[in-house]
Amino acid sequence: MAASSASKLFRAGRSLLGGLKDPNGSIGMSKDLPRSYLFSQQQRTFIQMRTNLKVVDNSGAKRVMCIQALKGKRGARLGDMIVASVKEAQPGGKVKKGQVVYGVVVRAAMQRGRSDGSEIKFDDNAVVLVNKQGEPIGTRVFGPVPHELRKKKHVKILSLAEHIA
Amino acid sequence: MRLEKCWFCSSTIYPGHGIQFVRNDAKIFRFCRSKCHKNFKMKRNPRKVKWTKAYRRLHGKDMTQDSTFEFERKRNKPERYDRNLAENTLKAIKKIDKVRVDREARHHAMRMKGKKAMERKEAAKELEQSIHMVKAPAALQQEASLTLPKIKVKVSQEQSQENRMEE
Repeated sequence: MAASSASKLFRAGRSLLGGLKDPNGSIGMSKDLPRSYLFSQQQRTFIQMRTNLKVVDNSGAKRVMCIQALKGKRGARLGDMIVASVKEAQPGGKVKKGQVVYGVVVRAAMQRGRSDGSEIKFDDNAVVLVNKQGEPIGTRVFGPVPHELRKKKHVKILSLAEHIA
Repeated sequence: MRLEKCWFCSSTIYPGHGIQFVRNDAKIFRFCRSKCHKNFKMKRNPRKVKWTKAYRRLHGKDMTQDSTFEFERKRNKPERYDRNLAENTLKAIKKIDKVRVDREARHHAMRMKGKKAMERKEAAKELEQSIHMVKAPAALQQEASLTLPKIKVKVSQEQSQENRMEE
């Protein structure tokens, strides 16, 4: 219990450092406000070690846990590459459970600023598995993807996507 | 650069403001400020929230159909830049805005039309019926100047009403 609360505080502290919005983390809120507020005051943070992500291509994996964010001190954001371990896989796929893979974050619940000043955020955390060079392992990508990927040179993923946000 | 509309309150979102939320079915929701965003997260229906344009249009508080709205359609084809066209468009925007504001003011005036007469009628009725809350009927009877000619007759009725109440 202590460890989890400590890690929660750590994450809140990290977000303070990150200069994100209101420093009142979900910890302080849960005491004063009614239960419904917990839904709206959720702090969305980076994708870091132990983060579970959904896999949205047909490489065979279903769920993947982040081991390392390759760029960024505090964690990966939308469009970054991560190293992950496959936690759940489909029986006849290209990747197996327990395999260490690279992935590109295509949807993140944490908002990312755009160059025109607006911010964009998605409903969940999703990743597309790639090889070390950045080329996708699968042949299809499901769901919307942001066009931040173009700047990060993940053009192949954009071409496979069904909707570009 | 494109001026979007807020999904919740229908106000324009200028560049540099607001948050876009992309749902997994690829539907994009744009919000002008965190107030609208938080209301959306609370799953409130904008048609039931009083300060949104959706509510006002639905309940007839604001104009719904007007030819000035036709000019503001979303156009997906970019226009080749033409200085004359740009100048004329700017002038037209100003004029259309003025016309639209005038029409909205007229709509509002139509909506509030019978208000003054109704207010006066209500005030007169209140004076008749509830003057006993302000001044005791006995006092009204003694000082003839304080009463209105109508009420002089009513005072006896109210006294009998009071007797009934005492019972």
